[in-house]
Amino acid sequence: MWDESSPRAVNGRAPDVFRPGAWVPMREYPEDKAVDFAIVGTGAGGGTLACKLAEHGFSVVAFDAGPYWRPLEDFASDETHQSKLYWTDKRIVDGDNPLQLGANNSGKSVGGSTVHFAMVSLRFRPEWFKSRSKLGYAVDWPLDWREMWRYYSEVEQALKVSGPLRYPWGPARPRYPYRPHELNAAALVLAEGAEALGIDWTPTPLATLSAPRGLAHPCVYRGMCVIGCSTNAKQSVLVTWLPRALEAGAEIRDLAMVGSIEHDTAGLATGVHYQREGRWHFQRARNVVVAGYAIETPRLLLNSASARFPDGLANSSGLVGKNLMVQSNQAVWGVMDREIRSYKGPPSLAITEHWNYADDGKDFHGGYCYMSQGPLPIVWGTTQASKRGLWGQDLLNAMENYNHQVGLKIVGETLPQERNCVTLSDERDQYGLRIPRVTYAFCDNDKRLIAHSLRFMRQALEAVDAHDIWDEDDDTCHLNGTARMGDDPSSSVVNADCRCWDIPNLWICDGSVFPTVGGVNPSLTIEAIACRTADRIKAMARRGELSRS
Amino acid sequence: MRRLPAVKSRRVALASLQEIAGSLSEKYAPGKAVRTRVPEPGGNVGRKLNFSSALLSFSVLADSGLEHYRGSFQNRLMYLPLAVSAATLAASLFGIVDGRAKSHVVRDGLYGLAALTGATGLGFHGYNIVKRPGHLSWINLFYAAPVGAPVALLLAGVLGRVAERVRDDEASTLLGYPAGEVLGAVTSAGLAGTVAEAGLLHFRGAFQNPGMFLPVVVPPAAAGLLAMTLFRSGNVVRRAAKLGLGLTALLGFVGVGFHAYGVSRNMGGWRNWSQNILNGPPLPAPPSFTGLALAGLAALSLVERNKKAGFHD
Ligand SMILES: Cc1cc2nc3c(=O)[nH]c(=O)nc-3n(C[C@H](O)[C@H](O)[C@H](O)COP(=O)(O)OP(=O)(O)OC[C@H]3O[C@@H](n4cnc5c(N)ncnc54)[C@H](O)[C@@H]3O)c2cc1C
Ligand code: SF4
Repeated sequence: MWDESSPRAVNGRAPDVFRPGAWVPMREYPEDKAVDFAIVGTGAGGGTLACKLAEHGFSVVAFDAGPYWRPLEDFASDETHQSKLYWTDKRIVDGDNPLQLGANNSGKSVGGSTVHFAMVSLRFRPEWFKSRSKLGYAVDWPLDWREMWRYYSEVEQALKVSGPLRYPWGPARPRYPYRPHELNAAALVLAEGAEALGIDWTPTPLATLSAPRGLAHPCVYRGMCVIGCSTNAKQSVLVTWLPRALEAGAEIRDLAMVGSIEHDTAGLATGVHYQREGRWHFQRARNVVVAGYAIETPRLLLNSASARFPDGLANSSGLVGKNLMVQSNQAVWGVMDREIRSYKGPPSLAITEHWNYADDGKDFHGGYCYMSQGPLPIVWGTTQASKRGLWGQDLLNAMENYNHQVGLKIVGETLPQERNCVTLSDERDQYGLRIPRVTYAFCDNDKRLIAHSLRFMRQALEAVDAHDIWDEDDDTCHLNGTARMGDDPSSSVVNADCRCWDIPNLWICDGSVFPTVGGVNPSLTIEAIACRTADRIKAMARRGELSRS
Repeated sequence: MRRLPAVKSRRVALASLQEIAGSLSEKYAPGKAVRTRVPEPGGNVGRKLNFSSALLSFSVLADSGLEHYRGSFQNRLMYLPLAVSAATLAASLFGIVDGRAKSHVVRDGLYGLAALTGATGLGFHGYNIVKRPGHLSWINLFYAAPVGAPVALLLAGVLGRVAERVRDDEASTLLGYPAGEVLGAVTSAGLAGTVAEAGLLHFRGAFQNPGMFLPVVVPPAAAGLLAMTLFRSGNVVRRAAKLGLGLTALLGFVGVGFHAYGVSRNMGGWRNWSQNILNGPPLPAPPSFTGLALAGLAALSLVERNKKAGFHD
């Protein structure tokens, strides 16, 4: 039995995610010969980019601190056991609203957080790419929505996203590759509430299969999604982009924690130092891509500080680690007389993006969507105890209602603020690396958005005769920002191509590059950016614009 | 009744299969002089139609059995199609073994009941669709109670009624029109409906396997050709229609195989049969195509018979 602490992707083979106990061939690269790209992180950003770059003919080694799972045999329907998917290394949190890190926002696995994400696959509202000029708040992205629209389509195809035939909001989009899933009772409650309040709703576009795809089984609606899907219905990076990456000749090094990025006297990156099986190694590379997600990415850049770059790599703007944005994740819960069993099926089967697209009737900037919910029992019990303060008989009584409870939960936009940041503490982790300190506080605009959403969702639950309604007012999800892209080197860390202004062969390709977050879950946008970046790199290479170290 | 019923029914079933084979071989025997077959007596055609009804009601019995079991028989009425389709199946089997060229009042009554239940079921299923949030929308057409299922029961009933009418040899007309043509029209419409149902569900499955296109290509062609025979006389169209119907009947069998493969692609495959048979694709659905195709072939026999008798051309 594999003990989950020794690497699996070794000796020219990697785990076959589609067959228990099986392997697929994997190309391997020597450490002392520079590969075209060393990529740190194999999640939504890094995994997608590794695939696309390998398919474009580059030599690629992608590192991940987490293990290489075979979902069919490694995942149990057990919340406690599956915490093995989360990034639970020590981190310090502070600020007015200290974040709860781990389960709900970061993963440590080959495939990144997408291995336990909730599969909601949404496009940005086009105006958000220019929220300063079009909507009057925060900053513009250096990207054009029409170009992103094309890359969104590419990702939706790659993930066989199942979605509605007509999306009620925004400009036309191509048909989703797979049809929507059947709605569970919790989703129908959202739908009834929305219809009662006169707003649109739709089955949620989800990256889980509503029909078979190759060796991946269709969804079985057991609702274990956020603890890892054991059927491979979930179209995580692990089962979509990475098998393609291997086939195209990329190497994936699992259980390989990158500790720092090395550079030469000219200030160009030369490779990465990483720890695997208790030893430090060095992989030479012509380009380095950082894709460790919005906390580990700035941490690695800061931890790589040198005499030449004393404030960390790519940090001449001073913005590495700054503008951390979560998304607000508040909910309104209630009890229905009829049985709901909200945990059946993917947790968020119905959605309304009404408040992402409506601009009137708001006392805040930005937007939010809200979705139906299906919390698993331990999470639900913990929520009742910690958020609602129930204990003893009261807690037991509330848990008896588990099959009747319903909830609506937002993914809300928060504004970028420099005071929300990732810095280094002096404490060190098991690898001997300085651990991150994550500081976070909502601003007044964020709070007004949350208050608006709680009021509205309460009305929606009242409209369907839910009772015992209460607000869960302090949850957050998704981490973004901390290495924003922009047009100006003094106010951003990377350009539109995810290339660092300071070090032209250093790239950042993950949720860190978001200048704003919008009111939708981020992974589709991260993967679309990765696809675009790969195409841009290919074009630059053809024109001889990639630097050689 | 001297002959053993089982042997007789097997003969009708065999005859139906031979009909399929015949319609195929006729097409693939180039140069052969056009075979003019001796038209069949009404009793035989009637029994063939009983066979069609049997297939359709079997489909309905198995399908609504699975689906309503899956729906936990939440509403008492969900038992009704099971009872009625079982009775229709029994009546049809009785019809198959009953060599007398005469209708039977019990069969006739049961077929009437089947048609009525089918029509009522259609109403219930339609209501189930429009009352849900989203109302008449794709998501409800995909997942609310299927419209096609009660229609299959309706068709089993209607075909059964026609079977009874054509058994009475002299009744070569239905509602004042030649029986073959009425049956042809009913069958074409039935095929069109069944194609719509298969098309909808295969669209729901994103046509992820190219085989899923077969039932939206072959049966519509057959239904179209069958409908054409109503307006155009001539052997070419009729033979093409026979070929199409033969292939459609075959597809009903092949479809079960495809669906069995589909079941195997669910998590756990056939080892987890107790869940995956419910999960679909539905094994009993494709045979409705065979049932309807056989009815179409029966309609063509009637047309041929009527032609001989001077009704037509
Ligand atoms: C419970 C949950 C539900 C979610 N639901 C949704 C959803 O429904 N829809 C949606 O769009 N998004 C969802 N998300 C968010 C989404 O998963 C993330 O936004 C996305 O995966 C981030 O992509 P990334 O590439 O930036 O980072 P990740 O996908 O987290 O990948 C980063 C990877 O880098 C590795 N890594 C980090 N540092 C190092 C290092 N120094 N060396 C080696 N490896 C390193 C990590 O192990 C990790 O595997 C959810 C997230 C969670 C946790
Ligand atoms: S509900 Fe579907 S996507 Fe979620 S874990 Fe189960 S099979 Fe996977």
